[in-house]
Amino acid sequence: MVRIIRSFTVASLVALALMGCEDTIFPTLREAEPVLVVDAWLTNKPGPQTIRLTRTQPYFENSLPPGVGGATVTVTDQNGVVYPFVETASGVYEWTPSGSEVFGQVGLRYDLSVVFGGETFVAQSRMGRVPAIDSITFFREEATQFADEQYLAEFWSVDPKGPGDAYWIKFFKNGVRMNKPSELITAFDAGFSRGGNFDSANFIVPIRRAINPFDEDPANEGQFLSPYSVGDSVYVEINALTEASFNFLNEVRIQIDRPGGFAELFSTPLANVSTNVANTNANGSKVVGFFNVGAVSGLGRRFTSLSDLSGE
Amino acid sequence: MRFFFICLLFPLGLVAQEKFTISGYVKDAADGEALIGATIYIKSLTTGTTTNVYGFYSITLPAGNYAVDYTYVGYASQLQNISLTQNIRLDIELAAEGKQLEEIVVTSEREEQGVKALEMSTNKLDIKTIIKIPAFLGEADVLRSLQQLPGVTTVGEGAAGFNVRGGNVGQNLVLLDEATVYNSSHLLGFFSVFNPDAVKDTKLYKGAIPAQFGGRIASLLDVRMKEGNNKDYEVTGGVGTVFSRAAVEGPLFKGDGSFIVAGRRSYADILARPFVDILSDGGALNFYDLTGKANYNINKRNRIFISGYTGRDNFFFARNQGFSWGNNTGTIRWNKIFNDRLFANFSGIFSRYDYALQFGEDARDNFNWKSSIRNVTFKPSFSYFINTNNELSFGAEVNYYSFEPANAFGTSNGNRVDIGLPEKYNLESAIYLGNSQKIGSALAVEYGLRFSHFAGFGPGTVFTYNDTIPGRRRTPVAERTVGRGEVIQTYQNLEPRLSLKAELNDRSSVKASYTRMAQYLHLISNTTASNPLDVWTPSSNNIKPQVGDQYAVGYFRDLGPQRQYEFSVEGYYRKAKNQVDYIDGADLLINEFLEGDLLSGDGRAYGLEFYVQKKTGRLNGWVAYTLARTELRVNGINNNQWYATRFDQTHNLKMSGFYEINKRWSASANFTLVSGTPNTFPTSRYTVQDILIPYNADDSRNNVRLPAFHRLDVSFRLEGKTVKRNGKPRKNTDYWVFGVYNLYGRRNPFSTYFTQGSERVAQGSPINSEARQLAIIGAPIPSVSYNFKF
Repeated sequence: MVRIIRSFTVASLVALALMGCEDTIFPTLREAEPVLVVDAWLTNKPGPQTIRLTRTQPYFENSLPPGVGGATVTVTDQNGVVYPFVETASGVYEWTPSGSEVFGQVGLRYDLSVVFGGETFVAQSRMGRVPAIDSITFFREEATQFADEQYLAEFWSVDPKGPGDAYWIKFFKNGVRMNKPSELITAFDAGFSRGGNFDSANFIVPIRRAINPFDEDPANEGQFLSPYSVGDSVYVEINALTEASFNFLNEVRIQIDRPGGFAELFSTPLANVSTNVANTNANGSKVVGFFNVGAVSGLGRRFTSLSDLSGE
Repeated sequence: MRFFFICLLFPLGLVAQEKFTISGYVKDAADGEALIGATIYIKSLTTGTTTNVYGFYSITLPAGNYAVDYTYVGYASQLQNISLTQNIRLDIELAAEGKQLEEIVVTSEREEQGVKALEMSTNKLDIKTIIKIPAFLGEADVLRSLQQLPGVTTVGEGAAGFNVRGGNVGQNLVLLDEATVYNSSHLLGFFSVFNPDAVKDTKLYKGAIPAQFGGRIASLLDVRMKEGNNKDYEVTGGVGTVFSRAAVEGPLFKGDGSFIVAGRRSYADILARPFVDILSDGGALNFYDLTGKANYNINKRNRIFISGYTGRDNFFFARNQGFSWGNNTGTIRWNKIFNDRLFANFSGIFSRYDYALQFGEDARDNFNWKSSIRNVTFKPSFSYFINTNNELSFGAEVNYYSFEPANAFGTSNGNRVDIGLPEKYNLESAIYLGNSQKIGSALAVEYGLRFSHFAGFGPGTVFTYNDTIPGRRRTPVAERTVGRGEVIQTYQNLEPRLSLKAELNDRSSVKASYTRMAQYLHLISNTTASNPLDVWTPSSNNIKPQVGDQYAVGYFRDLGPQRQYEFSVEGYYRKAKNQVDYIDGADLLINEFLEGDLLSGDGRAYGLEFYVQKKTGRLNGWVAYTLARTELRVNGINNNQWYATRFDQTHNLKMSGFYEINKRWSASANFTLVSGTPNTFPTSRYTVQDILIPYNADDSRNNVRLPAFHRLDVSFRLEGKTVKRNGKPRKNTDYWVFGVYNLYGRRNPFSTYFTQGSERVAQGSPINSEARQLAIIGAPIPSVSYNFKF
């Protein structure tokens, strides 16, 4: 009897593992009028600053979004200095520094103005501060059933004293930006959120170690490749956010990071993410997108040999 | 004629004739279990009463000779001739009816909620019925069985909890021997915490909730544990595909008491260990529970009960990596019969729900988070049987709560930071008074009033939030520190209850009810299905108590020559205030400013529930159909318009059938057909910083319906042989259950989600977006279990 039950249990476990299933479907979605999209994220990195104006497109239209040309785009700081953005391609507006000039100053307020089709769209942001990245280390993780031995990277940086700093942490492997939905990393002070109250410390482990891309081995389903191998380089960038843009990115993550499967039991409803861009005419055309001005710090390191592994 | 005669004489009788009381307990002759809701009927007076939850009854009649009929569904009735010249204590034992095929009655019992009873909007499922319903993986389950009843819905398969008449999961008061169960699920939502071996009786109140109960606005699920056999020792158990169960019960103190202890443990991890290496290093993937109860008859007038539950789910991927959750409850009850007409029960109750989450490999870097809610309750309740026409109930309830939203520490590179949140303390108290009154033989009315009071007190910090655009995060603008014991905020509510019954004739009646309930505790959950890490939070200066009003009317009728069919239709309308909703992107866990992420709105729900049941015969079962709507209106969501909730189902058809094939084989089937639940679909997409963002140009919520859900489950039960090889009867009984869940393997959609996929997209190239439909169970799931009793 025990044998019967046992064989059934194993069968059920296999069934349970297989029973959740997903199908790609093609529902008919309501057609909606396109809406102006403002994508204005400015930094104090050397070089030109770019603002993109596009339109929303039908959800299943898998093409690059159409650019919106012919707008007048300017950014003005709180001291009245005007930075004109000039259209260089359809929907792409650039401000080019002269000489060694750098855009922005930490602590200053910036006003964005987009004049298009007789309407004016405005937004505000304040350039936030960022801590320097002190170092990047590599460490080894033992093999598990999901992966062979792995090499992971970790960045070290201390959030400055005083609560209220928010960051977007981007990372690049061999010069390529890692941009899967699950790789959208934000931090509030040294932790995940304001309510977390984790100020002026090293970023917490899940953030320090979030800079590891996990990709399935194409040759071996269910197995994950080591995030880094000898010879790979990693570059980490901390971008300052305002609290509004921090909230925006967190809302975005909820909408885009949908691994499916049982996680859907605990997902929240699809909802429009916030925007800080407004039409000066409240009854005018709708607008979405975000304007953020933030300082940036960065550090890179190459994984040259196994002797780079910390603790070994 | 006789009716008028009695009515005429009755007032005279009060002065002219002395009255006496018959009282006592009605129990099962085989094991001494109290029978809840057994009927005591005096035909000559066309009056009667029913036993309460402890099996006690009391009826006061003029002196005289009476034939008193004691009946209980599935049991042989007993007629007692009583010469009433003084107060009589009469304890009755009823014997289960013989096993003749024709007479086996296993259905959702409605004896005391059919045409004759005052109650409406209730469904009672006894354990024999629960065991008969084909179950997921062959494990009989109390909560999943409730899904077969009218007016009960769920967001989908595998989701924890249940929704009653448009209430959310956190609006159900779930009681196990009077102790609140804060999370009733094992293994996310596939099983519930109630061990069928230890459960005697389950009753779901969807409306018309007596004044004795309060604290949740949608429903009351009253689960009563078995008392244990007070005549013989008995071991029951079972071996199934997911877990094994065993229960021991028997007499204590020479039959003056009894006990039952029942345990279960899942063994998926033990059996899977050879196949899953990850579990070998301190990992665990299991759940267990232990339920126990003991009682002792001190004397004829005093009886005490002690019962308790402990259970836990463990999900550990490695040592110190994972999470666990569990409930602990304990109840001490003292039944006291002050006199033949005054029955009292005093309950002292403890309940605690907690979960723990931990990550991190070493002492320098880790994360530990514990959260809990606990309450201690004292609840005296009294029933005063004034006369045959009036039964007065009154009592009080005092609940002391402490909430621990987060006892959490993060250690980053050796730097340990306390990221916990302070505890919250609350006191919820109530007094109530109710009377159940018969007016003539056809009319009955139950009216009651509950006064509830809620207080939050320090130590703690009280925040005041700014007003902002509805639907956006509010930030604290002021804070105030309050000292220990200092009152932060109080609320109070008067909760009237009213039920009416009018018998139209011997076979049909109409009923109506009104119920107001207040709820001071809120389950904070913005996910599709509630999950074990959801937190309960008390009403405060920022969260007002929820108040729900429900109106219901019903028509009840017996059909068929032997009245083997019961039919009912009920309509309800429920409106609710101060419903909790969430801003988009709400951060609900370890958030000191949680209250700034909450929204408040109105709810409304209405529906029609049809129910037909065949109670007897080889083929029996029921059909339930509900037509319903459940909506919310919250400023900041869906353009401030009403929108359907995630568990709203327009049509909901459930059928359960049981068939005795022969003496050893029986078959059960259930079929479910429900409208798809609403989901939110986008219209458009846009790109910011190379991130593809879905956009709903209408800014609506739950704007599209998923396809309909339907599923057929079957099971076959094989009774073990009743005689040994040598022809002698076996003392032990056993049976096998073979079942298939989702027989035709339909992939019922749980949700549709919109995604760019989890893959990386090269910068500058277009991002693909797609819609994916998820089915939690997409194949037939077979099961087998073996059950025994000796």
